[in-house]
Amino acid sequence: MRITTLGSYPKIPADNGPSVRTAIQRFERRSIGLTQLEQTIRDRTHHVIQLAETHRLDVTSDGMIRWNDMFDGVVRDVDNVQSAGLLRFLDNNFYYRHPLVRGRLSFQGGVVRWWLTQAVALSTVPLKAVLPGPFTFLQLSQDDSYHNRQALLDDVVEVLRLEANSLLDTGIQEIQWDEPALAYYPEWNIREVKETLTTLTKNLSVTQSLALYWGSGIHRWIEPLATSGFSRLYLDAVSDTEVVPRLRAEPLPVEVGLGLIDARQVKKESVSELVKQLEPILRVQGESRVWLHPNGGLELLPPDHAEGKVHVLSQVRDAVVTAPRNGGLR
Amino acid sequence: MAETLKTTSVGSFPKPPSLVKARQRFRRQEISLQDLRVAEQEATKEVIRLQETLGIDVLVHGEMERGDMVAYFAENWQGFTESLPVRSYGNRYYHKPVVTDRVNYQGPTGLTVESWRAAQAQTKKPIKGMLTGPYTICDWSFNDFYPDRRSLIFDLAHLVHQEAMALAAAGAEYIQIDEPAISTRPQELDLAIEAMEIVTRNLPAHTISHICYGDFDAIYPALLDLPVKQLDLEAANGQFQLLEILRRVPWPKDKELAIGVVDVHSHRLESVDEVKAGILRALEIVPADHLYIDPDCGLKTRTWEEAVQKLTVIQHAVDQVRKEEGLK
Ligand SMILES: [Zn+2]
Repeated sequence: MRITTLGSYPKIPADNGPSVRTAIQRFERRSIGLTQLEQTIRDRTHHVIQLAETHRLDVTSDGMIRWNDMFDGVVRDVDNVQSAGLLRFLDNNFYYRHPLVRGRLSFQGGVVRWWLTQAVALSTVPLKAVLPGPFTFLQLSQDDSYHNRQALLDDVVEVLRLEANSLLDTGIQEIQWDEPALAYYPEWNIREVKETLTTLTKNLSVTQSLALYWGSGIHRWIEPLATSGFSRLYLDAVSDTEVVPRLRAEPLPVEVGLGLIDARQVKKESVSELVKQLEPILRVQGESRVWLHPNGGLELLPPDHAEGKVHVLSQVRDAVVTAPRNGGLR
Repeated sequence: MAETLKTTSVGSFPKPPSLVKARQRFRRQEISLQDLRVAEQEATKEVIRLQETLGIDVLVHGEMERGDMVAYFAENWQGFTESLPVRSYGNRYYHKPVVTDRVNYQGPTGLTVESWRAAQAQTKKPIKGMLTGPYTICDWSFNDFYPDRRSLIFDLAHLVHQEAMALAAAGAEYIQIDEPAISTRPQELDLAIEAMEIVTRNLPAHTISHICYGDFDAIYPALLDLPVKQLDLEAANGQFQLLEILRRVPWPKDKELAIGVVDVHSHRLESVDEVKAGILRALEIVPADHLYIDPDCGLKTRTWEEAVQKLTVIQHAVDQVRKEEGLK
């Protein structure tokens, strides 16, 4: 079984390490300069990567320290879309600037690419890029230009593919597409989603994964999206309690990630309980095809608790590795 | 007699630099709690002076004694533990409380009475009593104690009710119970309404609830069942699209609407004309004497100068509308 984190990570330290929050405040008061702000962001990113090293994560994100929200980097890379007013991010007390589409989207690129190039240079752990999926982008943005959902969706897919393509030679080893909107909102045309995501992932020469979190509608996507070009599905098994029984039922043609660590509650999970829940899934899916991760980015937790959750991940992994198993499926 | 069109504010004001400094010094234990309170009172006077100068009708005290609208209650009640900060957007953070025990008062009720009373003593105009609703306190805390959200929300509702009764007993005519989180989960709207019924039961006051940054589409018109006299909603941030949602049903005769006409999370200063256009659109839906005009949300994230500018624009726009529409 392998372990990973999903995306964002607190930009402030649990103790007295580098704080992006303080650096930005100082920068705005002009008591530090650009170089110092940049150095703090790098130090914080480095901390996230060191945490991944310490806990021997198999893949990690860079903590998305530079992103204000899940759209930020992409919005900076695309012309004719801007970060507009603040809106609540699904059911969290967290607010994102909704992308406002003001003309035909075109790809400019460079920002996310530069951010990831920097992060890869700091990392000894395989690093993944985390990008918003087209349906979440569409659902949470405002269209003041196309007035035609299909035309906008087609361009969003194309622009995201261009973004993904621009990242391929940065040294990242995976692109994780985040689609919380598919989990959160109930009404989707399953066929349209499957076809669109198949187009999105087609012929991109990198491992691609799909992360579905923060909704009770996750289980219904497992079957249709198991064959849409993703190497693995990261599934929030806290918000949707149907996920675990589904994964116990039959093997899937794709690797599966279980988001059993609650990234939105401070309550600490019991390692033995988690192992117990995972055992039947490991047996059915095969141990090398199962991942464990939090059910979303860790930035919604205070930094000490975020770190605690990463620790739980590694404890569960270690417990699974050493657990005696009937039939030795390892 | 001409109808009136009133102005108000949502709640928080930016803390003047002198108070920011005093709070820092208090944290470093360089000044006493007494000194901090004096600094807060000075700042409150300034907030009230500003609102009076601008001619605002229903005032707020500005929440100079509060860091965050949820954390303030968590810090002063039992059952909560403070966490390290969590980011809410941009470079804004808050100490998200952790419920680690049964919530209750720490000492006598009436936590908010003293600051309200001190503010009200400064002016003849009404000052709103400001509370945070039980649904929002629950939603913006981590729950590490209660078996479910419902039981936590109901315990909190009783505490907020006591607090509201204490404000009313002190003489607060307007009591605002903010529930910005109410729009978060449409499936829990009934629960939030039930909790508000506990809060406002037998409360002898003009009750208000401020709600912002959510999916109004999903909770309207059901939101009209919230047992308060006035709903205070944000509209400028969403280019006044909220008004299209409000058009769905005729505005109820027994409810008032306060509508946000400037974006409090943007440095951009709105023009008088665009604010005026927003007010005129709102007047198509709600009659003037049931309508209040205010900023989208609390002003604490703006600088003092920005807050003054935004409120001035509102006041100019309202004055023009009053003149043109024959309102008072
Ligand atoms: Zn608000």
